[in-house]
Amino acid sequence: MIEFLSFLKDPNLQYVLWGCILLSFSAGLIGCFAYLQKKALIGDAISHSVLPGVAIAFMLIEVKSLPVLLTGAFVSGIISQYLVVKLSEHPKISKDTAIGFVLTFFFGIGIVLLTFIQQSGHAGQSGLEDFIFGKAATLVQKDINLFIALSVIIIIVVLLMKKEFTIVSFDEDFAHTSGMNVSMINKVMTGLYVMAIVSGIQAVGVVLMSALVITPAAAGRFWTNNINKLLIISSLIAGLGGGIGVLISYSAPQMPTGPWVVVVLSVIALISFLIAPQTGIISKWFNQRKNKQKIHNENILKLLYKICEKRGNVQCSIDKNEAADRYSLSKKEFFNKLNRLNKKGYLEYQINNQIQLTKKGVDEGQRIVRLHRLWEAYLATYLNIAPDHVHDDAEAIEHVLTPELEAKLDRLLDYPEADPHKAKIPRKKKI
Amino acid sequence: MTKTAVEIHDLVVAYNRKPVLWNIDAHLPAGKIIGIIGPNGAGKSTLIKAMMGLLKPASGKILFFDNPLDEVRERVAYVPQRESVDWQFPVTVFDVVLMGRYKKVGLFKNPGKSDKEKAKQALEKVDMYQFRDRQISQLSGGQQQRVFIARALIQDADIYLMDEPFAGVDASTEKAILKLMKEMGEQGKTVIVVHHDLQTVMDFFDWVMMLNQRLVACGKTQDVFIEKNLNDTYGGKLTLLNEVGQILSKNQMPQREK
Repeated sequence: MIEFLSFLKDPNLQYVLWGCILLSFSAGLIGCFAYLQKKALIGDAISHSVLPGVAIAFMLIEVKSLPVLLTGAFVSGIISQYLVVKLSEHPKISKDTAIGFVLTFFFGIGIVLLTFIQQSGHAGQSGLEDFIFGKAATLVQKDINLFIALSVIIIIVVLLMKKEFTIVSFDEDFAHTSGMNVSMINKVMTGLYVMAIVSGIQAVGVVLMSALVITPAAAGRFWTNNINKLLIISSLIAGLGGGIGVLISYSAPQMPTGPWVVVVLSVIALISFLIAPQTGIISKWFNQRKNKQKIHNENILKLLYKICEKRGNVQCSIDKNEAADRYSLSKKEFFNKLNRLNKKGYLEYQINNQIQLTKKGVDEGQRIVRLHRLWEAYLATYLNIAPDHVHDDAEAIEHVLTPELEAKLDRLLDYPEADPHKAKIPRKKKI
Repeated sequence: MTKTAVEIHDLVVAYNRKPVLWNIDAHLPAGKIIGIIGPNGAGKSTLIKAMMGLLKPASGKILFFDNPLDEVRERVAYVPQRESVDWQFPVTVFDVVLMGRYKKVGLFKNPGKSDKEKAKQALEKVDMYQFRDRQISQLSGGQQQRVFIARALIQDADIYLMDEPFAGVDASTEKAILKLMKEMGEQGKTVIVVHHDLQTVMDFFDWVMMLNQRLVACGKTQDVFIEKNLNDTYGGKLTLLNEVGQILSKNQMPQREK
């Protein structure tokens, strides 16, 4: 552990670390728009397609000069995008076919060229294979300066053109008809995707770099409905993923960085998926539980109301064992629910296992019975469903009807007296 | 003699060289509410997209107040079909309406006070101002349509092209849109609407264009919305026309010699 902390003091590492966090940050930022345009696969296509550019650039100058290699990567990425667009214009080739074809074609050529370079025994070629899965530990200060420059350009352009990127992502046709230069805006966006991916290929590698563009936005989307917040959250998640990846790469130099970055990002995405408010699995689960609870409460009040309705006195005393026998739950569970209703003030306990609805309980029970019978009447009248088929549907719908819908139903059916089974529809007495 | 708002001259639109609109030739008068009607696949949306420059015609031209679209863009506003966008997009009602001003605001700048004031007015016109901060994912179909119309209103255009604004909206939205359209007509604006529901054509439109791959009729509603034209429009496609289209597509032949 002390060893781990000691290498954190290394100024070169600190520089590389902050550089990688910044480049991840900018990838997460522009990645939001790729995600919003539903162009997730485009990132994958670009990142795989930059490899031949790297190889050809090396073959031309025969030195591992990063600016030249990245320029090669950039050109190669842009060409691949052009090909994807041109191919998918053909009516027989869908967009995903075009992406799949271009991605594998370019990556295949890239690997062939890399193998060729390695076998040529060229001096200075060592390390080229690190572009495949990335190795942040091989970065030096000079490289980082270049990445910082690229990242800063991406961030500035996104901030300046946020308005244009948003409208084109949301409604390209409308942007076009309002006179905006959509094809220019799209080209700038594609250029920025390629730049973001190119700046990450040494640290993260071409195979997995697209994760740094797409996953942060996808994870961030669980947390917010606001595009500005999404941009910030996505960038921060990307920065976090990039930073942790670099630290792992330094502490275990034989390990490639890319897979670690992806693992960290995926864990963040998974956690978002589970715990995010409203949209997350866990909050959905809680919501379902709450719904179940509500349905039981309403059904029990309905049952008690109906028992008393039959006896002709809505606030009668009921034996709780007798009521339990008529409910689908076990006795123990049923009594638990009664306790809960008691606490909420819907019913009161009396001596000898008797229970009685309070005024509030009667109102609620009556409301459910009323909604049930109103819905039955509606189905029978408007959907021509036979009276003996309307009950099951009403059992479910009675729990979701709002007061506004109730008023509408009443108006539509002209305040009916009875449901299709001739049961009276109970209403509050008019004062 | 009223002014011509839109002149469509010998328009042919083709997908992969197969024409879906043949030789459309029509004049649409200014200051009128004009319906484009026809069966599914008649090319109604295609026509409106070609008019807005979203599809490149195979031949022919479209003029707005005697000018090509690019010279009078600011005078023409478009309301696309509601289903054409992803309503899960993370923006608010107000953001969407402001998009109508983005072009005027210009590059590298943010919408200012006057833009926001205009957005407010547009939202009030469609009775949606109270929903301004709502996420668009939470809107009903009718509310989505109102937002789209507000976004076009904010453009202060003279001609409005709307693609099925009445499709799948509630009765109160339908009434609100209709009222708004009539007001726009009174202000001398031209409103061109792709429409589906034949029942309402008489009440809604001053003028209709009846379309089924070719132009069946175009004129004042009471003159052209008659049984003969309806039979021609809805009485099935011209199969010969389709066969010729197939051949053009198959052999990749041009629709015009040059």
